[in-house]
Amino acid sequence: MPIHNSQFTIHNSPFFARFWRFAGSFSVRTKILGIVLALVLLLGVGVTVQVRGVLAQALEQRLQEQSVSVARDVAARATDMILINDLFSLHQLLVETQVNNPDVRYAFVTAPDGAVLAHTFGPGFPPDLLAANPVRARDHHQTVLLQTDEGMVWDTAVPIFEGKAGVARVGLSEASMQITIAALTGQMLLTTVIVSAVGIAAATLLTWVVTRPIIDLKQAAEAVGQGDFQRRVAPWANDEIGELAGAFNAMTADLAQAEQERAERDHLRSQLLEKVIAAQEEERRRIARELHDETGQSLTSLMVHLQMVNQQCPLPETREQLDGVRSLVAQTLDNVHNLALELRPSVLDDLGLAAALRRYVRDYQTRYALEVDLEIVGLEERLNPALETAVYRIIQESLTNIARHAQAHMASVLLEQRHGRIRAIIEDDGVGFDWEAVKSNGRLGLYGMRERVELLNGTLTIESEPGQGTSIFVEAPL
Amino acid sequence: MRYYLLLLAFFSLAGCAAPAAEASVNLSDLQPLPEVSATAVTPLRVAVAAIISPKGTVQSYTPLLTYLSAELDRPVELVQRRTYGEVNDLIESGDIDLAFVCTSAYVVGKREFDMQLLAAPQVMGDTVYHSLLIVPTDSPAQSMADLRGAVFAFTDPISTSGRNYPIRLVQQMGETPESFFSRTFYTYSHDDAIRAVANLVADGAAVDSLVYAFAVEREPELAEKTRVIHTSPAFGIPPVVVSPNARPQLVADLQTALLQMHTSAAGRIALKTAGIDRFVLIDDAAYESVRELETAVSRDP
Repeated sequence: MPIHNSQFTIHNSPFFARFWRFAGSFSVRTKILGIVLALVLLLGVGVTVQVRGVLAQALEQRLQEQSVSVARDVAARATDMILINDLFSLHQLLVETQVNNPDVRYAFVTAPDGAVLAHTFGPGFPPDLLAANPVRARDHHQTVLLQTDEGMVWDTAVPIFEGKAGVARVGLSEASMQITIAALTGQMLLTTVIVSAVGIAAATLLTWVVTRPIIDLKQAAEAVGQGDFQRRVAPWANDEIGELAGAFNAMTADLAQAEQERAERDHLRSQLLEKVIAAQEEERRRIARELHDETGQSLTSLMVHLQMVNQQCPLPETREQLDGVRSLVAQTLDNVHNLALELRPSVLDDLGLAAALRRYVRDYQTRYALEVDLEIVGLEERLNPALETAVYRIIQESLTNIARHAQAHMASVLLEQRHGRIRAIIEDDGVGFDWEAVKSNGRLGLYGMRERVELLNGTLTIESEPGQGTSIFVEAPL
Repeated sequence: MRYYLLLLAFFSLAGCAAPAAEASVNLSDLQPLPEVSATAVTPLRVAVAAIISPKGTVQSYTPLLTYLSAELDRPVELVQRRTYGEVNDLIESGDIDLAFVCTSAYVVGKREFDMQLLAAPQVMGDTVYHSLLIVPTDSPAQSMADLRGAVFAFTDPISTSGRNYPIRLVQQMGETPESFFSRTFYTYSHDDAIRAVANLVADGAAVDSLVYAFAVEREPELAEKTRVIHTSPAFGIPPVVVSPNARPQLVADLQTALLQMHTSAAGRIALKTAGIDRFVLIDDAAYESVRELETAVSRDP
């Protein structure tokens, strides 16, 4: 695929990269202005140079021809004057020739022996001029271009009466031609400047026309990027940018719909999650009540009955065994109580979050032999039950994690209600953990905590590093 | 890279045609012209009266002058002046060694300072000529009387054939040129008078018959454009003269050279170019009719 290869080379060549870096460093406004200006200037200067050249050539040609025709005219009219030695008329002829042809710088007539018969120089005669254009008698004429101190001069020599009467010489200066050319050049350059000015104005308008929709598009894209899916771009024109605006609007509409669907799904998911959590809590509450009321009562009755059987039994061996059973039942009763408490402390429902937490922390310290510093600030009133449950569960989960994984000597819990928000900080001095590793492990406990908080429009932040302990910040509106 | 070349070509297209100067001259450096140095050998100065135009004179007389130069072993300079009078002045002052003059100029010169006859050309076997009255071919005029109110071209203020004779014709009708013609002007040569009629600048002119014959031979279209309506009586042919103060030896040498001219091949070619058979001696009496005409014209203004 040589074509593909070459394209690849071109697009990756350093030149191309430099070009794009250069071209990309200007705004569209500058680019359009640059294009217009470059075009106008290139055209203006190009045409000026070209026209100037053509005009110079044409005028030069004309001047050359004029020099021949004037010289031939002088030669024809001078013939008889020379032959009859009428030098005054000859001088008058030359002077009139110069007066009637402003381009004629000088005119003079030489005799066949080379002596100057008449000339227009006045007091003297340039010595180099005689030899500057030697013409042979049989020539029709001879024209040469002379470099003089007053500029270029087209000098034509015409033999008079086949050279028998001498030679007529006429020099036409390019001075007025140069003035004409300079005037034309000035005019054209002025025109170029004026057209450039008009071009700049037109380009500015054009830039505005082109960039206005683009700037609109950019602003709309930024708004959409920030979540404003209602933003639309006004259709300015029916061109490519108009099509882009249309595509952008269609895309934004699609995005808005997708966003709406996503929001609905999230809402559904949240509702579902809320229901699941509520159902779970309800189920725990039921099981805890069951355990407490039914199983606990049954076990208590069993213990009472075992006490009575023990007092009435005469056999010391049997009594001893019954004591063993009774203490087993008592332990089971304790376990059932703990289980019920774990599942759903009734005190949370009855006395609120603060009391339930104090109770839980007391039991926790007993069970895990770990000192917990619990500080509760504010929180005099009962909170929304869902919030109380969520905060309780998060602290419970955190403390359980500390007991199971942290190898901590000390933990602290701070709970405060302030400015309409509730804030909890759970810290330990344990081994800490790598948050990234835990995330990739797919541990659901932390996610569950976060889900609960987010359902209540709150936030949960975990700060932990291996060996540095762990801090969990929870914050939620009341 | 190709684009740069294209651009370069575009811009150089206009500039490449500028021609280069062939020499450099300082026009402000004005120096006095050198005086014309006097030639070591004094040239023989020959005047030819403006019977024909200056260019025609050069063409016709150059071989003749070259011949004289060879015969006399001296450079010869041709001197021309606009009028017969100017030539006469130069002969009188001695600035001219030899002159071909017209008849009336001779008559005036003879009277005023004794101009000397040297020889006379013989043309078509005779030493006379006529004044011809010519008009454009399409002109209805048949005689001088028909030219009343016309524009008339004279050749020279003292020409016999070109002025005195036609004025005499007008005078004989009891008129003056001023009353008879609407306008008159001088051409200062006979061939220019013929051209003036041929080109309808003049309605009529009187010209030297020798010049007319010579001119129509050279330029046949002049014959087509002009018509002769009157021929004068014969006058003595325009002579070759010298100043009364000329050195006798020079006069003798010149006379010999002229009279011997037809005997050499080079001389014959020179004579043929000038439209002359040969040179012959002539007597002052041949110009008596010219004198009478002049006297008549000056008497009857």
